[in-house]
Amino acid sequence: MEPKIGVYICHCGTNIAGTVDVEAVTEFASKLPFVTIARHYMYMCSDPGQDLIRQDIKELELNRVVVASCSPTLHERTYRRVCQESGLNPYLFEMANIREHCSWITEDHAAATEKAKALVSAAVRRVYYQEPLETREVAVNPNTLVVGGGIAGIQAALEIADSKHEVYLVEREPSVGGHMAQLDKTFPTLDCSACILTPKMSLVGAHPYIELMSYAEVADVSGYVGNFKVKINKKARYVDVDKCTGCSECANVCPVTVPNEFDLGLSQRKAIYRPFPQAVPNAFTIDKQGYPPCRSACPAGVNAQGYVALISQGKFKEALEILRRTMPFAGVCGRVCTHPCELECERGKVDEPVSIRALKRFMSDYEMKVGRKKATPIERTKEDRVAIIGSGPAGLACAYDLIRDGYPVTVFEAAAKSGGLLRYGIPEYRLPKKVLDNEISYIKELGVEIKTNAPVKKIEDVFKQGYEAIFLATGAWESVKMGIPGEDAKGVIHALDFLKRVGLGNKVSLGQRVAVIGGGNAAVDAARVARRLGAKEVSIVYRRSRAEMPAEANEVDAAEEEGIKLNILSAPVKVLTKGERVTGMRCIRMELGEPDASGRRRPVPIKDSEFDMDVDSVIMAVGQAIDKTALPKELEYTSWGTLAVDQVTLQTNVEGIFAGGDLVSGPADVIAAIAAGKEAAISVDRYLRGVDLKAGRPAPITRVKEVSREGVTPKARHSMPTLDPQKRKGFAEVELGFDEKTAIEEAKRCLNCGVCSECLECVKVCQAGAINQDMEEEVVEVDVGNIIVATGYDAFDPTPLYQYGYGRLDNVITALEFERMINASGPTAGEVFLKDGSHPKTVGIIHCVGSRDEKYHEYCSQVCCMYSMKFSHLIREHVPGAQVIEFYIDLRCVGKGFEEFYNRVLAEGTTFVRGRPAEVTNIAESPEEEGKLIIIGEDTLIGRKRRVPVDMVVLSTALQPRADAEDVARLFSVSRSADGFFLEKHPKLDPVATMNDGIFVVGCCQSPKDIPQSVAQASAAAARALAMISAGSIEIEAATSVVVEELCSGCKTCSTLCPYNAISFDEEKKVSVINDALCKGCGVCVAACPSGAIIGRHFTTEQLMAEIEGALV
Amino acid sequence: MAEVSFIDEVCSVPGGESIRSCIQCGVCTGSCPTATKWDYPPRQAIAMVRAGLRDELLSSNSMWFCSSCYACTVRCPRDIKPTDIMHALEVLAIKHGLSTKRSRTPVMYQCFVDSAKGNGRVYELGMMIKLFLKTNPFAALKLAPVGLGLFLHGRLPLKPSRIKGVGELKAILNKAKALGGAK
Repeated sequence: MEPKIGVYICHCGTNIAGTVDVEAVTEFASKLPFVTIARHYMYMCSDPGQDLIRQDIKELELNRVVVASCSPTLHERTYRRVCQESGLNPYLFEMANIREHCSWITEDHAAATEKAKALVSAAVRRVYYQEPLETREVAVNPNTLVVGGGIAGIQAALEIADSKHEVYLVEREPSVGGHMAQLDKTFPTLDCSACILTPKMSLVGAHPYIELMSYAEVADVSGYVGNFKVKINKKARYVDVDKCTGCSECANVCPVTVPNEFDLGLSQRKAIYRPFPQAVPNAFTIDKQGYPPCRSACPAGVNAQGYVALISQGKFKEALEILRRTMPFAGVCGRVCTHPCELECERGKVDEPVSIRALKRFMSDYEMKVGRKKATPIERTKEDRVAIIGSGPAGLACAYDLIRDGYPVTVFEAAAKSGGLLRYGIPEYRLPKKVLDNEISYIKELGVEIKTNAPVKKIEDVFKQGYEAIFLATGAWESVKMGIPGEDAKGVIHALDFLKRVGLGNKVSLGQRVAVIGGGNAAVDAARVARRLGAKEVSIVYRRSRAEMPAEANEVDAAEEEGIKLNILSAPVKVLTKGERVTGMRCIRMELGEPDASGRRRPVPIKDSEFDMDVDSVIMAVGQAIDKTALPKELEYTSWGTLAVDQVTLQTNVEGIFAGGDLVSGPADVIAAIAAGKEAAISVDRYLRGVDLKAGRPAPITRVKEVSREGVTPKARHSMPTLDPQKRKGFAEVELGFDEKTAIEEAKRCLNCGVCSECLECVKVCQAGAINQDMEEEVVEVDVGNIIVATGYDAFDPTPLYQYGYGRLDNVITALEFERMINASGPTAGEVFLKDGSHPKTVGIIHCVGSRDEKYHEYCSQVCCMYSMKFSHLIREHVPGAQVIEFYIDLRCVGKGFEEFYNRVLAEGTTFVRGRPAEVTNIAESPEEEGKLIIIGEDTLIGRKRRVPVDMVVLSTALQPRADAEDVARLFSVSRSADGFFLEKHPKLDPVATMNDGIFVVGCCQSPKDIPQSVAQASAAAARALAMISAGSIEIEAATSVVVEELCSGCKTCSTLCPYNAISFDEEKKVSVINDALCKGCGVCVAACPSGAIIGRHFTTEQLMAEIEGALV
Repeated sequence: MAEVSFIDEVCSVPGGESIRSCIQCGVCTGSCPTATKWDYPPRQAIAMVRAGLRDELLSSNSMWFCSSCYACTVRCPRDIKPTDIMHALEVLAIKHGLSTKRSRTPVMYQCFVDSAKGNGRVYELGMMIKLFLKTNPFAALKLAPVGLGLFLHGRLPLKPSRIKGVGELKAILNKAKALGGAK
């Protein structure tokens, strides 16, 4: 159909007509091709102006319209609407800007008129090629997501919910309330903040249309306006919100205390806590930061933090219960464990690690002192019988776990008594037999059958006796030979044989001058035993240096205390004998050479450095090996000579036989054996149930990464009291253990790295059964039509302003800290106290700390002048007679009632000094200044520098964007302004919307503001959301881009460039697809497409080329 | 031709335009260790520039007391460098011939420059003698013990030490002056 174009030139009063000769332009336009009519009028946007167009469309049957007037951003919509109302597709309209682009930019009338003609010509040429386009409607999901439960978020949620539409309110703290909940009174009315906030909080918690997700965070947002898909991470709070009654019995028994964040560290809270009494939801939350390093370092996973925490509370019995959840050897490990936990203990980074091993021992000592009840046998719930060969720590630990799983367990022990090396290796003075017996009895009381004097000759026989699975834990008892001449003489004994005989109470013939070869615990044990048996001279001969001795350092120290000599960097080459007797030992000096395969420096003999030692007994402790004779021939061995097993499951190559401990690892420590026993128990259980041994096996735990050491005063650890070396004649225990007072003091040094210690005391006292320690994080997905972001602000930390003394001088506090102090439910119950507990007589308040400062925040935080005045009022109310001086640059009291409040505060007697202080110091220059803080600055109104002594300084700190604002902005695809706050769509006319339709930003996350402004913005955003919800659908702009499938090569260049993530890839058709709801028609993809397969609707190449040609007329 | 206003004069110095951003907070005066000696302490001096009080300010002792400690520059919330502004005011004071008698510093600076120009190096003894003769000869007596100490430690040469190319230095300075610098 032939185009019939109507052209309308607007005068816009004198804005256009004053510079452009509108009549000439109209005359010009009327002669352009396909122009049916050209008119000019004073104000085209007015009703009569619009009517001109309407009439012409009707009477002249126009099918194209061009208006030459102002910017399309102002009136394109107006004229498009006129066209639409007159039955003409709105996209057949084009606007030429002859004002902002023409009349307003020059004084040259002739040039302006020529340009206006060119612009009109361009528009007329273009409009010829324009096509009718249809807008699309998409449905709007009536649900709304509100992110942030401060006053703005609460307000928005309530307004939308009151319209009977569903709201999801996500708050990342355990309770809603935000910063407003921390305030005492609010300006200028001095309303109690909690009093006006808590009714709304309560309503939010109870509203039928609000789903409150507290202790949750938004993890992912996708989709577009009206159709967002949001993933929400509900953090594990370990307390069932619906069951918890808020009775706080749990907090009473919790042993872990940490700084309370709500009170800004001015008070403490427990690991299970409620942020403040009026919290909504009024449930408790358990703060678990992760596994403490002691627990993750322990090969057996013992919860050391748990029992240490309870010992610090005097709950020794309960503490021992925690250990017994994992293994039964408090007394044994408490004496001999190599304590990997202490090596990782975070307290060690402050001063010294907590004496975890000693505390473990204390629990056992305490129980043995007060006596324990016989343990209740465990109910048998399984039929399959398990045999364990060897009753050392590995075997017993395995038995302990399996009996508690309900299995019938029998332990076969070749020796006369159970315990393995614990009994026959470790001497009495280190591990008294009665301690070992107590713990083995406990295991037997649970129902484990231990058969002593029952060596197993053939393992196959065990299966024949009806056992379904076997755990081999026979240890490594064979001594390794040195391979030197004279080794077989009488008088040369091997350490394990020696210790075993002594342990059995048999007589051992030993000379007076004993040499012990080796540097491990067996060597040191043998040396110290030899001493106790009466040997006059005992020396330890070791081929490397002292620092490299594998034995426990404190054992080596004790040995030296007992008079044992250390002959390091020496190795024996020959035992000197006379007949069968040992007369001496020839040794050679060693030096440390290059590192060997294990990384340790290899000792190398020094040529010609032989020397003779005058000894009559030699004890060899150079290594332990396993005894293969009792084991089935089918078993495989490692190149080290130990039994080969799967590293994860401890399964041997024979079905149903598992192995662990020294038998597998070679000589290692007790806790490694216990860990192996526990691991084998898991495998045996899975094997017997027919479950895969590896899949779903508990993974090794990783420790919490960061542990705060703030505010911890160094205090050395308590050392273990030991028996005076002079008194160590017999086999009396050398280490004496802690008493109760020492134990509690030592336990209090623990930093509680994981925060919640999982002691489970809270579970015991919770009558509502609300605590679930195994709760896991949950991810929830919701569909919403609109998102209101109300994430609030962070308070500025004034530490970098060194000159004000925050963190350096006592009694310099921030505004928020002062709010907590003056709050009746705060750390001081509303009293204004100095550090020494007295009331301040004078208080100085410094305005603009962090605000109006190019070095920190250029902006003014709006609320500080007012809250500072509020403080001065409150100080004088709480401390009668106190003097308050405020130091300001300008006073901003712009809101309703603000100036009146300023007047009131002035009348009440607050002094205002105009002048930003230069510094705060405690260095006095006169007697009146002694013991005070002196604020130094210029009083600009009198033009003089002043020193003002005060007792307390309050810093009115800035409001700044949240620390994670960048991540949150990315999550919701909102921009940020230069100051870091979220960017609104238009600072004047659209302060709550963002460039991303359907996403709003309200409250302090958009810019610092007070409560009434936050509430107003929240209501505004709620209204916008409700407008969309009640419309039910929204129109999608038609001027978007579209991919021509036949031309698309599937290169995906467009999708990587799209700034609105509007392009996806259709895997079936292998073409790109543009989501027209997200597309903003920017044209980047159109330009980038190498195949020219994308059309930018309403901005086609044809249209643009015509426009250019028209302009070049 | 309208005379250049005081504020424009100061703003034409590099960095000088920053004083337009001054909010008169007073941190500069508050931080200044010598402020109590100034006729018009730093903040007030900047206000006087903005008020166009050229003669009053440039004939005061204010900027001459600046010890270049930079405390003001570190703390100014508007990123103004008052130290540099003060030095610019010193230059302007000399340019306008208004330097004050209430501080010896301008005379000291002149003696220093003369000594350096004449010898290519500062001849401390000569410079100090000239300073005292021009200001207060009796003040020299107070410094006599210090001078003696310096002399005994070989730190006060009695004769000036000239550089080799004094003439070349003079030529450079003359050329600079001709090009418009060092007014």
